[in-house]
Amino acid sequence: MSKKRKIVSLAVFGGIIIALIVGIVATAPPAGAKEPINEVMKDAVLHETGRINLFGAVQVNPALVSAYIVTAILIVFAVIVRIFFIPRFTPIPGKFQYLLEKGVGLFTGLAKENSPHKTQFIGGYIFTAGAYIFFGTLFELFGFQAVTVSGHSIALPAPLADINGAIAMGFFSYGVILFGGLVNNGIKGMLHALKDFTLPVSMSFRLFGALLSGALVTELVYYYTLTSYVLPVIVGVMFTLLHALIQAYVLTMLVSIFYGESSEKKEKSEKAVKTKIKKEKRRKVS
Amino acid sequence: MPLNIDIQQILLHLLNFVILFAVMYFVLYKPVKAFIDNRDRYFKEKEDETSKALEEATAAKDEYEAKLRGAAEEIKTMKAEAQKDVREDADKIRSDAKKEAKNILTTAKLKAEHDTEVMIKNANSEICELARQAAENFVITNTSDAYNSFIEAADAPDED
Repeated sequence: MSKKRKIVSLAVFGGIIIALIVGIVATAPPAGAKEPINEVMKDAVLHETGRINLFGAVQVNPALVSAYIVTAILIVFAVIVRIFFIPRFTPIPGKFQYLLEKGVGLFTGLAKENSPHKTQFIGGYIFTAGAYIFFGTLFELFGFQAVTVSGHSIALPAPLADINGAIAMGFFSYGVILFGGLVNNGIKGMLHALKDFTLPVSMSFRLFGALLSGALVTELVYYYTLTSYVLPVIVGVMFTLLHALIQAYVLTMLVSIFYGESSEKKEKSEKAVKTKIKKEKRRKVS
Repeated sequence: MPLNIDIQQILLHLLNFVILFAVMYFVLYKPVKAFIDNRDRYFKEKEDETSKALEEATAAKDEYEAKLRGAAEEIKTMKAEAQKDVREDADKIRSDAKKEAKNILTTAKLKAEHDTEVMIKNANSEICELARQAAENFVITNTSDAYNSFIEAADAPDED
């Protein structure tokens, strides 16, 4: 491409972009008609106004609908893979098989590393949780629309951007840890896990806070006209991708570590054994 | 409730996640992991077999090398023994040959002496015979002449 042609192309693209920006600014609604920023933020956090009718029975937060859609997609994917791909697996994997094996291997490795004595169940759990958090967070990038009970259109958020979804995930994870302690170490194991009673709260709010912070930053960026061009493409996508990866990793890591601790077989320490021997000797002497 | 926390929605989320967990665990995670484990086991077995075969091959190689070293020494010993045998045999052959040569020489000497004696004896006999014959011839010749002279003298007429 010649230099002159390059300059012409750049000028044309520049002109189109400037014309679009002018058009967008010119057609923007008056500032007074805009929802105040605190309302936008409050709605993004609490979802009090934009509720959706679920199967005509209950009014729920849009994140629950997102959760169901993400779950449906993952289940359909799993069933298709199970029926059409897994029976055709070969010892030398193809690209798709390699990707699947890599995903399963990643979480199995994490489980083995943090809970070396019990890996099968926790590996499966963190695999599911990781996939749900990752794809659920990416889901908001698509901006699927739903209609609220008040008749407005709303972009479906990430399932865990709703505090109810985050609490459910946090408590279920804690339940898995308790269950691991109970199965492997009996009541003692469960009590050991129970002493970390703040864990479900911290896990829930960490998830909710992390995902919400991304949503809030994106909302802020979109709210002001000046920052709503080009920047959201970078900030929104980058924040979402980072949250998807980081939160999937953090939750799965925490769950596997706590599961490993609670399900580890407790052996009597050397000190305790020595003390017991000393006590027995003293008893014999006396 | 504060923060729009709704127990019903939490339960709905939980239900959703439990179903997802069950499906993902049994339909996707477990079969893929089973496949990976089976393949790992298969390769582990193959690796063990290969290591075992390698160990056996190394042991066999060591054994053969030891055998080869032993064989070289054995060959050396056998060679030395064979050389010694050959030397002994050669000495024996040489000594036998010497003995035989001596015998042959002695026999030949004796035979030669005997032959000489016989030849001398024969020569003496022949000389004697020749001398006799010569004497006889001489005698015969001389006798005949005398006889003839006698006869002639006898035949000649008496002049008196």
